[in-house]
Amino acid sequence: MKHNNFYKAIFILLTLSMAACKKDLLDTTSYGQVTSNTFYRNATDAVLASNALYSLLEDEMFFGHPEQAWDICSDDQWRSGDWGNEQALEELTFDPSNPQFGWSWSMRYEIISRANSVLLNVPNIDMDKALQDRIIGEAYFMRGFMYWQLYKYYGQVPVITEENVKSNTYNVPKGTMEEVEARIESDLKMAGDLLLATNDAENVGRATKGAAWGYLSKLYLYKQDFAKAIEYGNKVISGPYPLASNYGDNFEPATDNNPEMLFNVQQVAGGWTGDNNASWYYAPRHMPWDGWGFQEPTDDLVAEFEEGDPRLEYTVARDGDIIQGGSNGEPFQYNATEMSGKAGHYFKKYTKLKSDGTGMNHDLDIPLLRAADIYLVVAESKIRSGQSGDAEINAVRERAGLSPVSGADMHALIHERRVELAGENERHLDLIRWDKANIVDIVALYAQDRGQWKRPRSFSRPKHYYFPLPQREIDLSNGVLVQNPNYQ
Amino acid sequence: MKLRFMLKRFFALVVTVASFQAAMAQSSVTGKVTDQSTGAPLSNVSVTVKGSNRGTTTSSTGVYKLSLQSGDASLVFSSTGFAETEIAIGGKSTIDVSLAMSSTKLSEIVVVGYGSQSKKDVTGAVSSIKGEQIQNLPVSGATQALQGRVAGVNVVRNGGSPGNAGSIRIRGTGTINNADPLIVIDGIPSGDLNSVNPNDIASVEILKDASASAIYGTRAANGVVIVTTKRGNFEQPLKVTVNSYTGISKARKTLDVLDAKTLVTLKKERYLNDGIDMVEAWNDPYNLVQRTNWQDELFGNGLTNNTDVSLTGGSAKSSYMISAGSYNEKGIIKNSYFKRYSLRINSDHKISNRLKVGQSLQLTRGTDNSLNTLSSQDGLIWSAVRFMPFLPIKNDDGTWGSSQVSANEFGDINNPIYTVNSVDATNINTRLLANVNAEYKILEGLKFKANLGVDGSQGTNRNFAEIIRGQTRARANNSLSRSFGEGYSLLSEYFLSYNKIFGKHKIDAVAGYTAQTFNGDGFYASKRDFPNEDFSQRYLDAGQNFGGIGGNRSYDALQSGFARVNYDFAKRYLLTATFRADGSSKFDKSNRWGYFPAFSAAWRISNEKFFNVSFINDLKLTGGWGQLGNQNVASLQYLALIGGAGHYVFGDNQVVSSAQVRLPNYSISWETAEMTNIGLSAEMFNKSLQVNLNYFNKTTNDMLLAPPTIGTVGRLSIPDKNVGVLSNKGIEIDLSYNNKIGELSYRLGANASFIQNKVIKLFDGNFIGSTIYGRQSQEISRTYEGLPLGIFYGWKTNGLYQTQAEIDSDPNLKNDSRRTDGLVTPGDVRFLDINGDGKIDEGDRTNIGSPHAKMVYGFNTDFNYKSFDLSLFFLGSQGVKIFNADRMQGIDPTYPFNMYAETANRWTGPGTSNTIPRMSTKRNNLNYRTSDMFIEDGSFLRLKNISLGYTFNEGFTKKLGIGRTRFYVSGQNVLTFTKYKGLDPELGYIDGNKQLNVDYAQYPQARTWTLGLNVSL
Repeated sequence: MKHNNFYKAIFILLTLSMAACKKDLLDTTSYGQVTSNTFYRNATDAVLASNALYSLLEDEMFFGHPEQAWDICSDDQWRSGDWGNEQALEELTFDPSNPQFGWSWSMRYEIISRANSVLLNVPNIDMDKALQDRIIGEAYFMRGFMYWQLYKYYGQVPVITEENVKSNTYNVPKGTMEEVEARIESDLKMAGDLLLATNDAENVGRATKGAAWGYLSKLYLYKQDFAKAIEYGNKVISGPYPLASNYGDNFEPATDNNPEMLFNVQQVAGGWTGDNNASWYYAPRHMPWDGWGFQEPTDDLVAEFEEGDPRLEYTVARDGDIIQGGSNGEPFQYNATEMSGKAGHYFKKYTKLKSDGTGMNHDLDIPLLRAADIYLVVAESKIRSGQSGDAEINAVRERAGLSPVSGADMHALIHERRVELAGENERHLDLIRWDKANIVDIVALYAQDRGQWKRPRSFSRPKHYYFPLPQREIDLSNGVLVQNPNYQ
Repeated sequence: MKLRFMLKRFFALVVTVASFQAAMAQSSVTGKVTDQSTGAPLSNVSVTVKGSNRGTTTSSTGVYKLSLQSGDASLVFSSTGFAETEIAIGGKSTIDVSLAMSSTKLSEIVVVGYGSQSKKDVTGAVSSIKGEQIQNLPVSGATQALQGRVAGVNVVRNGGSPGNAGSIRIRGTGTINNADPLIVIDGIPSGDLNSVNPNDIASVEILKDASASAIYGTRAANGVVIVTTKRGNFEQPLKVTVNSYTGISKARKTLDVLDAKTLVTLKKERYLNDGIDMVEAWNDPYNLVQRTNWQDELFGNGLTNNTDVSLTGGSAKSSYMISAGSYNEKGIIKNSYFKRYSLRINSDHKISNRLKVGQSLQLTRGTDNSLNTLSSQDGLIWSAVRFMPFLPIKNDDGTWGSSQVSANEFGDINNPIYTVNSVDATNINTRLLANVNAEYKILEGLKFKANLGVDGSQGTNRNFAEIIRGQTRARANNSLSRSFGEGYSLLSEYFLSYNKIFGKHKIDAVAGYTAQTFNGDGFYASKRDFPNEDFSQRYLDAGQNFGGIGGNRSYDALQSGFARVNYDFAKRYLLTATFRADGSSKFDKSNRWGYFPAFSAAWRISNEKFFNVSFINDLKLTGGWGQLGNQNVASLQYLALIGGAGHYVFGDNQVVSSAQVRLPNYSISWETAEMTNIGLSAEMFNKSLQVNLNYFNKTTNDMLLAPPTIGTVGRLSIPDKNVGVLSNKGIEIDLSYNNKIGELSYRLGANASFIQNKVIKLFDGNFIGSTIYGRQSQEISRTYEGLPLGIFYGWKTNGLYQTQAEIDSDPNLKNDSRRTDGLVTPGDVRFLDINGDGKIDEGDRTNIGSPHAKMVYGFNTDFNYKSFDLSLFFLGSQGVKIFNADRMQGIDPTYPFNMYAETANRWTGPGTSNTIPRMSTKRNNLNYRTSDMFIEDGSFLRLKNISLGYTFNEGFTKKLGIGRTRFYVSGQNVLTFTKYKGLDPELGYIDGNKQLNVDYAQYPQARTWTLGLNVSL
């Protein structure tokens, strides 16, 4: 009897514990995630990997704001937000610890890492050649584009490519200026060869040949290689990238994917991409926008517009303007003193209200590169290499309904770029480029007192041609990464 | 009475075996053992012949019979909870004894993992806390109740929100990874200490050194906390106990901030000093009127209610304990709460003479809402400190007061009262912890035991985010997110235990197998755009647009073999050897198994013949060494994982994406902690004084560290590598004294620990950063080789510049372009040029303080006088620094916020202030960068609990038909002595163990007054 009890007990215990007594108890599975060995099987995986090249763009701490904020250094924008780091940025008193320099840094390299992964793996997939080319082209484009962003703001930066991934070496010194430029050039050329000229509706917003050529022509302009800037710029101008018939179409949710828009950050309201963060930052801190009012056009910028230039109305909201989308969808009058920050204006390019009066329309995409910019790049390259840039300048002016100019010089070009691209993050970089070429005196320009909301700043040449690398990266590199000159 | 039936059985067996050895029985003695206070018979009392290992235990009716040999002089009666009593035999054949409740500790039996030991025989470092010490405290869980009770055990809480448990640190922070100890509840490792109703706890044992905890192998590196819950006794009549209390809590203090008038003056002064035109808002007379003290509005009265009922009893074959409890805490911040319902059923059954079966079951359901009180962007207290005092809670038109009324001058903060009223979030956690165990006696001294357990939990939460219009931090779309997750862990253990005594040799051995699996499964879904925000419509079906959906599953497992041998020679020399082999699924096949040995020895000097110190009753010297493992890091780090990489949209085409989310480390394996322990314990002066001293030296080798993610890697997660070395050394002192003066009996207890934490090695000699603070992304804590974990890292200062001449001649600024550009002005902070290059920049940052306390201590005192009992419990921390980050932002005038009241004493001219810089909107000198200006002495002594009770005369209560009845009033966090200026000096960890003692204006701990009643029926 007693032994029966014993066996019974043992039997029950063993049965109960069967679940925990699997033979391979310690073997685990990566549920819902795959390992790199089992990814990149087919076209589906390749498309998923290509989508990952874009998904970070809309992040609040990338093109949602910091990557859009560099131009508060210029004379176009006033830093109207309440962040001390942006005050230091605007006043050119920043230190390498200023968070602005670190926010986008790892975002850019993450996209570079994703691009490297595509470039290492997608060529080995047996799949439709046209799709494969497009995806490889997108990877080249996004990598080149990210190095372009790094190059513009920091100059020399570490260049991470497939080779670094293979050898697992990431703590590397900065590349030389030539190496960084060569990387951008080669990546964008590959992208220009492999990408499609235009995308179908399902893929609108993916990079195109036009986007690659556009950034290439800008790179050549920055390098003062005017012939190549013209060559690649003309590929855009002669490509399927006509200027929108109406300037404002570029900044309206319904038409912001028109052919002129070479590259932008795609947004859909109510979708899973979330809000357009840039809209929050640009919009006034007041009903009905409820935005945060971080970047406002200066009076100086407003004054730059010619009498009757319709671009002013699409770019800047001024006191007394009628705004669509008030409560119940009624138009209302913009009261600068009450509604805006201190400068009194706000950038309309980045903020649209919904027609039913329920606040901001988050369908608006964030423009990054327009064909109009490339027209002016070609014009500038022509003027600076002794040719006439009238045709390209006038294409832009005529679209705005303004009278053509003839024999345009750099003065006219500078004016045209400033008003056409106002608020689109070009001005500060343009001024630096022109200062280096002795076309403008940025020190004198920034030293001017433009009133309460744009005080004189002291631009230090050549220190401020580039921003400092993030202090955290310097600290972590154990001496491998050397801070930019004059910030050490 | 806390008879731990199983364990006592185990102990009793040892003596039973001994009696078999007594081959030469010459006579015998019988008798009955009773409880002195109640007269009830006591079962399972150990009866041994003094100076031998021979003995027996009393039956269920308290009767014993023992054979005697010639020369046996006296009997020793011992039982848990009762004083050990020695009676001379003197030729008597019947000896009846009534045992008094114990006032000494050494006679206790302690649970040591897969068994128990008499405290006398313990060779490792084990601390024991009795259930009654931690009962009826107005705290939500046992974790908090352990704070300050024994040396070497520290509990820190990062905020006092209802239900916030805090973290237990045993002998320092042993690793930069998860340093929480292993929690074993009724034999099941993995339980959540806070899911146990503290009133159900019979005892808590804390295994501190390697020898004691090695039996738990790979999970023991951070110590082990063993919780044993109350059980019934066989042959015990039904006893019903009711505990009930109600408490009211209030905020201890609020931070002094500027009133409206002074604030406006200071805001204006900024513009005047900077030569900037005045902003219109500051000339508006409306803003000169003080309308709201936001902290007073946010903090209210908290309310805590607890009621629990327990039934214990047993027949000859079965015993039981059933309890049910309800704990309901409303926090001092409106809308914050924690509720717990708990049910427990424990029972034991004698199936036959050889087979015993027992079970424990615990079911708890906890509900809370997680208010945001930690963010330095929009946390509630953070917001209340900073929101403009001239703004109303509500405007005359009924809308909420808003900082939006002046574009960017009043800060991007939402009205905190609006925020707290609009919170609609709930977390519900249901947890089941159950086990069945069986013990089969194969032979005398040899037992087979099995333990099968399950720890299952279901968590669900909901969060509805309203549309916010008219506030600065607006929200365009409303959304509801729901999530559901379950986890369950299955445990199976089989082991053999063997006890044998050969003359002066006693062996007590255990060996077995254990396996435990951990499964997690969950999903979430969210929808946006609910056309109607009515509470009845806040369900996923009502949302118009898809927000997101996701789910995941996880699996981990541990498998182990273990063995332990205790050897006792003549009750003088004790040896323990432990070995455990553990396999963890967290590592790749080739690195899966770890082997962890430990040894310890004790010398009971007082049992030596030569020892003849009359006032020392017991003296024991112990020493031990051992290795322990830690595998508490993320799973699957040996795989290169590709996972979801975010969403995007092409036109209207919404897409998902994939990218590598982690780099692999194929060779990842165990962290090993190596620990040496030396201890001395003594009982003196008729056992009235107990002293326990311990020294330990613990080194964690192969500490798993993720190398700092340099930006060029992107945002991949970097796998941990076995590269770090961390050292913790310390001394622990426990003292306890009890005595009587007439009818006043009292006990004084004190404990203190002195622990030094030091990082010996990190990845490539580099540092590890931590969470950055606030708008300016300020770095506060870093971990460096040669320094403790998470030191404060920043600039050193030396007051303010009073005059321009001081600036011009300051060697700190000799080569600084800021000086020549006129960007440093009188009233700015004088930073120190640490690297001697004549300018102030990032090269001048250095270690500016450690957040680790030099000493953590506690005092426990109990007084009993007639029907009154009084207990006081003090907790203290000495030699500790706090980084007051909230003050760093709170006195910084460059922010568009209200400021600390002390800014009224700002610098306005030479000699006016040497601590509060001038008012300015400029950040040219970065006066408010991370510096020693914001480091404060965080030492404190806190009267954590005081409790005064009155027990009614039994004659009186019996007339009422009830048993023992006690009323008490108790206070929690009653008094705090500290120089610290922030809300609460008790702060905890943020970001794992990488940041400690940084004040974010966390939810402060409340002062609570409680009225309670305990009744037995």
